[in-house]
Amino acid sequence: MTVDNLINWFPFGTEWPVLTFVTAVIICALPVFLFIAVYALVAIYAELKISSFMQDKVGPMGQGVGLHAWKFGILQPVADALKLILKEDIIPDLADKKLFVMAPFVVFVGAFISFAALPFGQNIIIADMNIGIFYILAVGSLSVIGIILAGWSSNNKWSLYGGMRSAAQIISYEIPAGLSIISIVMLTGTLSMQGIIEFQSGTIWGVLPNWIIFNNPFSFIAFFIFFISGVAECNRTPFDIPEAESELVAGAFTEYSGMRYAFFFLSEYAEMFVISAIAVTAFLGGWNSPISGFMNSSGWGVFWFMLKSLSLIFLMIWFRWTLPRLRVDQLMSICWKVFLPFSLVNIFGVGIWSLLVG
Amino acid sequence: MYKYFNNIFVAISSILKGMSITWRHMINIRKGNVTLQYPEERWPRPERDIGFDLDSYNVIRSRLHVDIDDCIGCLKCERVCPVQCIKIVTTKAETKGEDLPDIGHTGITSNGTKKALIVSRFDIDMSECCYCNLCVYPCPEECIYMTGGPNSHKHPIDYEFSQYDRNDLIYKFAKDVDDEKISKYVSKKIK
Repeated sequence: MTVDNLINWFPFGTEWPVLTFVTAVIICALPVFLFIAVYALVAIYAELKISSFMQDKVGPMGQGVGLHAWKFGILQPVADALKLILKEDIIPDLADKKLFVMAPFVVFVGAFISFAALPFGQNIIIADMNIGIFYILAVGSLSVIGIILAGWSSNNKWSLYGGMRSAAQIISYEIPAGLSIISIVMLTGTLSMQGIIEFQSGTIWGVLPNWIIFNNPFSFIAFFIFFISGVAECNRTPFDIPEAESELVAGAFTEYSGMRYAFFFLSEYAEMFVISAIAVTAFLGGWNSPISGFMNSSGWGVFWFMLKSLSLIFLMIWFRWTLPRLRVDQLMSICWKVFLPFSLVNIFGVGIWSLLVG
Repeated sequence: MYKYFNNIFVAISSILKGMSITWRHMINIRKGNVTLQYPEERWPRPERDIGFDLDSYNVIRSRLHVDIDDCIGCLKCERVCPVQCIKIVTTKAETKGEDLPDIGHTGITSNGTKKALIVSRFDIDMSECCYCNLCVYPCPEECIYMTGGPNSHKHPIDYEFSQYDRNDLIYKFAKDVDDEKISKYVSKKIK
């Protein structure tokens, strides 16, 4: 645990315990925040470019005088962020002001504290808790409170609709996601993120990497159930009915502008990363190299982890620009009629499998 | 039960089909790109031939241009203009067909006509112009014309003349000289 290590490492930890604790927490939190900010810029640029390429366009190309988004529009996300920071911060007259101000931070905190348990490398993890994956699933659903707060406090019919839809959607999709994770936990016998990854080292028959997705047919299906439920929890297209532009303007975020909107935006991308990171940890071998023994040191672990996570994020972007938005009833029927029975069968199947094979 | 599984199968296969389409488009972006990055690259202009008689009538609706050295100040274009976007001021010169180099006045046009008038103002407000081309036909010296197209040997095409200030769209073709200087050469009879 990095925070504990830092506290022990500080020379005057016993004299000023509170100060030491706060310093240690900030030292851990600041890099994570910077990472989220930089990653969000990269992801937004990637999303702009990939979406354009998929639609036979060129995307931001930075035309114009002076430092105008530079070559190939690389500075476009920076310009967007600057614009959002400089914009006027509008709070509607009839809004519930305290909740309105609070909501974006609740959403962001929900995504932000999940990073505490993400294993970026063999040793790079802020807190390797023995309940790591349970913790992430628990705090991950904090964002639904923020979105409901945003929808309610805006005092706006679109926002309220968006908030309610989001609540229904996120709570429904937590269940198949959680059940898929349960089948993984049954297989590995641990809730710790590092423990799950260590279970996946080595190979199957010397060919395939020993990742849980290849472990048995049930976990193969569980990966897709978890990942698609994760996309739904991020409120991304094709599951973006909470902020459906064509029906609800911007859903729960309708009344937000400037910095507060930027926080919603940031937390959406952070949540995408968290979902991808959990999927990588639980199903795709975390920081393990795909070829056993090849570039498998602790430094390369970060590379493999980021590569796998970013390819899953690419998959999410690919989903978004391919699939049309689902109707509310279709969304619910997929969750309750397809994912839920399949994940229950998965749990049963994994139990039988580990009894017979494992 | 068959319907349920068939539904799932159709969903998965159609998703894969759709995603393969977007993937193909993303991979072939260099070939399939349809965006034209305007200031750097332009579509080729089609050859202009919309006229009744292709040989004689072939104009392009671009910017109006005046060869002021050929203008005799007959005001025909000003009178024919349906939106009154042409403003011309002339004064009678003392001697007909004489070059007046210090106010940039040419005495004889390229058609050989001796000029009797000094054109001290020739403004065309291109923000008002309706591109009807009507001012071109009456001109006896063929000195007012649309740029480019059949006239491209006289003036290259200019159809992108946007400005930041609307006043910059008023094109002043007359030589920029003081009125006092011109008044030296104005016919005594008028004075």
